Amino acid sequence: MARALRSLRPPRLSAFILAVLAWLPLTFAVWYFAAPLLLWPAVLAMQGICATAFAYLVRSVEQVGSNVVFTTVLRPGTGLSGGFVSVDVNLLLYSFGLPLLAALILAARETAWKRHLLVGYLVVVPFIAWGGLADFLKNVAITAGPAVASQTGFSAGQREAIAFAFQFGSLILPAIVPAIVWVLMHRRFLERLRTAPAVS
Amino acid sequence: MRTPAAGPRTRRSCPMIRFFVLFLVLLAVLFGLELTPPVQHWFVVPWTNTLARISAGIVTLFDRDVTANANVLRSVSSNFAVSIEAGCNGVEATLVLLAAMLAFPASWRRKALGLAAGVVAVQGLNVVRVISLFYIGQWNRDVFEWAHLYVWQALIMLDVLVVWLLWVRTLPRSDADPPLPPGAAAAAA
Repeated sequence: MARALRSLRPPRLSAFILAVLAWLPLTFAVWYFAAPLLLWPAVLAMQGICATAFAYLVRSVEQVGSNVVFTTVLRPGTGLSGGFVSVDVNLLLYSFGLPLLAALILAARETAWKRHLLVGYLVVVPFIAWGGLADFLKNVAITAGPAVASQTGFSAGQREAIAFAFQFGSLILPAIVPAIVWVLMHRRFLERLRTAPAVS
Repeated sequence: MRTPAAGPRTRRSCPMIRFFVLFLVLLAVLFGLELTPPVQHWFVVPWTNTLARISAGIVTLFDRDVTANANVLRSVSSNFAVSIEAGCNGVEATLVLLAAMLAFPASWRRKALGLAAGVVAVQGLNVVRVISLFYIGQWNRDVFEWAHLYVWQALIMLDVLVVWLLWVRTLPRSDADPPLPPGAAAAAA
């Protein structure tokens, strides 16, 4: 009953912002310590993509804590024998939106918060995989230099696309996807927020 | 039981989908433009340098030990410096806000007013980010990395979201109805 009444009461924006800020330290801590588990599905997705689309380039994709290590078939330079290029990507860089999303969901205090957390997480995971994969491709196709990049077989246009995918996947998507997901899942809450006074 | 709600829900979803599709297209276009050499040369780099000067100007009000050179903020005594790079200059956050306001159904006047206030709010918090990181970096490098790479990124996006929500609240009901329909609250109850 109390929960039902609370859901009818218009939430105040100031109280909501304070609640988000109060939840953030906890959600960041949970995200950091649970990262190996939370990021595992994203690593699985990257393994699947590499096995199908980049099998000629990638020997293995392994998770080491919150990092993912791509071991390639590429040589570090021409004329060198032995050794393959491997790329270490920090997936925390592409998943910091998870604690923000969790804080937004918990601060909204909707009755379906558990479902929202699960759905939100499932939606964000592919974008974490996008960031990790784009980071890897940017490393071998651009950052590693011409000796390595020439072995990848990427055209100039493909390298441009990789550069854009990396920039978009690192500067825009990690932050914007959780916000979009939260807005989509909380339209009713937002409607009530619009009608309430801004400050308590 | 669900059949009668299907009609209104579909009607509500169409403008919302239109908003998000338009928002994402605008964001991709604006971000693509931002990466082009002319925009970098004439807008992004000068703005980033200005941000460093603004940050240094504010810091020198209470700390004479700071100088700004191009996009670098430096402590004279410790020689610690922060370089303001892409992702830290608030341009991407501003583009997100710009795309969200342009995609949302509202009059051009309200969009212009919202953008003017929103850009000040986003860039204002970004100056706080730069200054805080400058001092956090001198105190503890691990905390700096955490604040720089994760915490401030989330806070800036929260700022964009709050500014957008505040702006949506100022719109007349007829302007803001599509993505946040008035019938939604009743449907929830």
